[in-house]
Amino acid sequence: MGAFRLMPFTRVHQNVREYEVFARKARVDSLRQVGSVVAPDDDLARAYARATYDEERWIEMVIVPKESMISLWAPGEDEP
Amino acid sequence: MEASNSARLDTLLKRGELIESMSEMTPDYLKELKHTLIVSGDTELISAPAYYLAAKKAPSVNAFMTGIAIIQDELAHAHIAYHILEELGESQEYLIFKRDPKDFRYPYAFDVPLESWTELVTANALYDQAGFNLLGDIHEQCSYGPWKRGLVKVMAEENFHLRNGRNWMKRISQAGGAAKDELQQAVDWMFPLTVEWFGLPDNLKQHSAQLDYRLKGLTNDQLRQAWLSTVVPFLDSIGINAPAHQEGNAWVLNYPFPSTFDADDKRWDFNDPCTWDDVLSRWRARGPRNAEMVALFQESFHKFQVRA
Repeated sequence: MGAFRLMPFTRVHQNVREYEVFARKARVDSLRQVGSVVAPDDDLARAYARATYDEERWIEMVIVPKESMISLWAPGEDEP
Repeated sequence: MEASNSARLDTLLKRGELIESMSEMTPDYLKELKHTLIVSGDTELISAPAYYLAAKKAPSVNAFMTGIAIIQDELAHAHIAYHILEELGESQEYLIFKRDPKDFRYPYAFDVPLESWTELVTANALYDQAGFNLLGDIHEQCSYGPWKRGLVKVMAEENFHLRNGRNWMKRISQAGGAAKDELQQAVDWMFPLTVEWFGLPDNLKQHSAQLDYRLKGLTNDQLRQAWLSTVVPFLDSIGINAPAHQEGNAWVLNYPFPSTFDADDKRWDFNDPCTWDDVLSRWRARGPRNAEMVALFQESFHKFQVRA
C-alpha cells in the first residue's frame, strides 16, 4: 500500500483474500514461503495452493491469510 | 528524497544485495522491473493456449495428460509474475483480461500456430529451452528478491518440459520415415524463430537498463549463444539438421540473420535477408494466432463477470 500503489484495482470477486503458502520437503527443513494464492474462501485457497505449488513432494504445506501476518519489520521499511 | 533513494539503490545493487521493497526502488528501476515481469508473465500465459490448441492432437491419453500438466505449470508461472506485478501496483485483472491482444509482450514465435503433436514437443524442446535460458539467468542474477525466489519453482518445472520435448523428439526421429520428415520440417521453421526470440544483437542494442539494474545478467547475444550451445548438439545427436555450426567457441548460423518469414506458410526465405526494422514491424503487427489465443482466456471472463 502507501504512496507507491499507483493504480487501484478490482477483481471478479470483490471478497477475495490473499494467502501466503508455506511448505517444506523434509523433516529437517524448516517451513518456508513458497508462494501465494488469491481465493474467495479457505477451501478454494487450499485447492489453489495444492494445485499451484505442486513442484515438490512436500511433507507439509500451510496457508495463512496475509492479513493475519503481523510484520514487525521488513527490509526497506523504517525501523519502528 | 529522489537523489537519496537513487544513491541507496546504487549501493544495494553494488553490494550484490537483493531489493525487497518498493521504497528501495527508483521510478526507473520500478519501470524496468515491471517491463521485464510483463514480458515474462505474458510469455508464460500465452504458452497455455498455444500448447493447448496443439495438445488436443496428442497421440494418446497419457501424452495428452502430460501436455495438460505442462499447461498447468505455465499458468502457475504466469501467476507468479502477475502476482508480483500486482504487489507492485498493477491490476492483474487488467493485464490478463482487459488488454488488447496486440498489447501482449510475448515472443512472436507463439503467434505462429502449433498444429500437431510433433510441433508441440518441438516447442517444448526449443521454446522452453529459450525460456529456461532467459529465466535461469534471471533466477541467478535478478536483483529483485521476490522474483528470484519465485523462480525456484519455475526452473524445476521448465526442466520437466524440456525433458518431455527432448524425449518425444528423440522417439519421433527414431521412428524415421514420414514422422522424422515432419519433425525436421518443424525444426526448420521453429529453430530460426527461437534464435530471433533473444532480440536485437548486441551491436545494435547500445544500452540495457535491465543489465544496469541487474534484472538480468547476460546480454541478448550471450543468451542466444547459450541456447545454441545446448540445442544444436542435441539436434545433431538425434539425427535432425540444425542450421548452425560451431567455429571455435562461438555458434554460427548457416543463414542470413535476420531473414524474411512467411507465417502463413511457416517458411523462411533465406535468399531474402531483411533488416531488424522489418523484424520489429513483423513483431509489432503480431502473427496469425494472436487474437484467437488471447480470446481463449479473455472470453469467459467477460461472459461470467459478476455484476455488483
